[in-house]
Amino acid sequence: MSDMTELVEPVETGHQMRDEIRSISERSRARRQVRSRIMVVLCALALLVTAVPLVLLLFQLFNRGLPVVLHIGFYTQLPQTPSLIAPNATGGVSNAILGTLVLTLYASVMAIPVGVLVGVYLAESDSKLAATLRVISQTMAGAPSILMGLFAFSFIVRDLHVGFSAIAGSFALAVLMLPVIVISSEIAVRGVPHTLREAGLALGAKPHKVSMKIVLPAAVTGIVTGIILAISRAIGETAPVLLVIGGGYINSWKPLDPVSALPLSIYENAKSEWPSLRTEVWGIALVLVVFVFVLSLSARIWASRKQQAR
Amino acid sequence: MDQEFMAQVETKVVAPTESPERGAAAMQLKGVAVSFHGRVAVRDCTFDVTKNRVTSLIGPSGSGKTTLLRALNRLHDLTPGAKVAGQILLEGTDIYRGDITVTELRTRVGMVFQRPNPFPTMSIYENAVSGLRFNGVKKKSILDEAAETSLKSAALWDSVQSRLKVAASNLSGGEQQRLCIARALAMDPEVLLMDEPTSALDPIATLKIEELMTELKKRVTVIIVTHNMQQAARISDDCAFLLMGEDRAGELIEFDTTEKIFNNPIDPRTLDYTLGRFG
Repeated sequence: MSDMTELVEPVETGHQMRDEIRSISERSRARRQVRSRIMVVLCALALLVTAVPLVLLLFQLFNRGLPVVLHIGFYTQLPQTPSLIAPNATGGVSNAILGTLVLTLYASVMAIPVGVLVGVYLAESDSKLAATLRVISQTMAGAPSILMGLFAFSFIVRDLHVGFSAIAGSFALAVLMLPVIVISSEIAVRGVPHTLREAGLALGAKPHKVSMKIVLPAAVTGIVTGIILAISRAIGETAPVLLVIGGGYINSWKPLDPVSALPLSIYENAKSEWPSLRTEVWGIALVLVVFVFVLSLSARIWASRKQQAR
Repeated sequence: MDQEFMAQVETKVVAPTESPERGAAAMQLKGVAVSFHGRVAVRDCTFDVTKNRVTSLIGPSGSGKTTLLRALNRLHDLTPGAKVAGQILLEGTDIYRGDITVTELRTRVGMVFQRPNPFPTMSIYENAVSGLRFNGVKKKSILDEAAETSLKSAALWDSVQSRLKVAASNLSGGEQQRLCIARALAMDPEVLLMDEPTSALDPIATLKIEELMTELKKRVTVIIVTHNMQQAARISDDCAFLLMGEDRAGELIEFDTTEKIFNNPIDPRTLDYTLGRFG
């Protein structure tokens, strides 16, 4: 009650409202500070919950993977099946490393041009076709990746009689990458200020020139980021390639040859009864993680340089 | 064009004041009206834009100045639901119905926008010659010459001569706007449309652009939209005053020499506006 009497006292300054606000604020300060501290502690806890599994995972990965990847033979040799005489003779994963690179390359060649062009089209057009394509790519982006493998298997491996091959695997990966590239390209192109388009049109440029010479270059950072994202996703996928690449035990870059891939090797080695092969899994996983890390890091560096140059 | 809209538009045609000292018309507007989805944004615009003079469009916000300006290079073409009625003649050719393509029109009628919008991925040089490149000019000697001439005309050559390959975004706001002027001038247009070209600039950069305009009108006809009455009085020779009508559509109230609009207008609303009583 003492507070109240203080408040109703006539205040000479004529700032009753201001004084009242200040006194309320004063009284609630302690309570607000306690609440603030509790929130900070909660946030820190949440961070810890997120960070601990990640750190454990990375520790496990390096702890078990590093001894494997330090052998040069891991990169240069083909896989061997251990025997009772040589239980540690696992060979290397050169076929899987080359296979992953080849699959990603072919998939990129297929998915990037189509994806970027469709993305630009979606951003620039209001047609029914564009709306339909957008729904399709959004649906595809959410589709389970094994579906792409199944599709490639029945369509390319079986119906087209191509057989288990790199091209079938990269087709499956390309289908997986496509919606990611389409959606991110559309967003990037939509982000280009309208005034730039108008500036181009006002110079007598035809609409397609405006798209290609002004809008696309201005959107390139976003588009490339989307491409890298798509590649990073595809490179680690097991399901789409599992059914179609044939797990070839040879080093080959030819599209029609059966190849292997890093995720596939992990899957197969992890099921093995040989402890040496199960240990090797960590090395393969480490290589895969480094691939993805280098890819996204270089994309980030490139994008920030590009941004600074503006 | 729907009949109702046309009838609405052709109600009143204000005859331009004939004055003997004025030269030939670069552009003629006859009962021009622009509507979006049937809602009229500006109408009743009839006046001649005289060659080698600066014509300013003034009026309060919403009076349709920019809308009218953008009709002059058919920039409304891509806006869904936009319609332009009446006639706009460039050297006697109807730009909407006559024997002229929209791309040709835009090379002959250049435009400078409210905010400097150089192409961010291009160098200063590439920006200056971008219009030529878009229109298929590839010869290096022509491009080089056009870059130099246009940058000189935009009073930018001296300060950028040594860094033509640098990204245009490294320039200051005022320099960027002059680069946009150079970009438009490189096409050697007959008419240059300027949509509040100094509204995003500081006073010194504004002054430079104003000085430039006085120089520019020797070779190009300038039509400028401005909110700034002093600017209109300083730089323009002719002046069109627009005002929003009761149905919220802008219309031309008065067109005359700038001197007459500011000193001795016929319509009392023009006087009220130029004296700053509203708007």
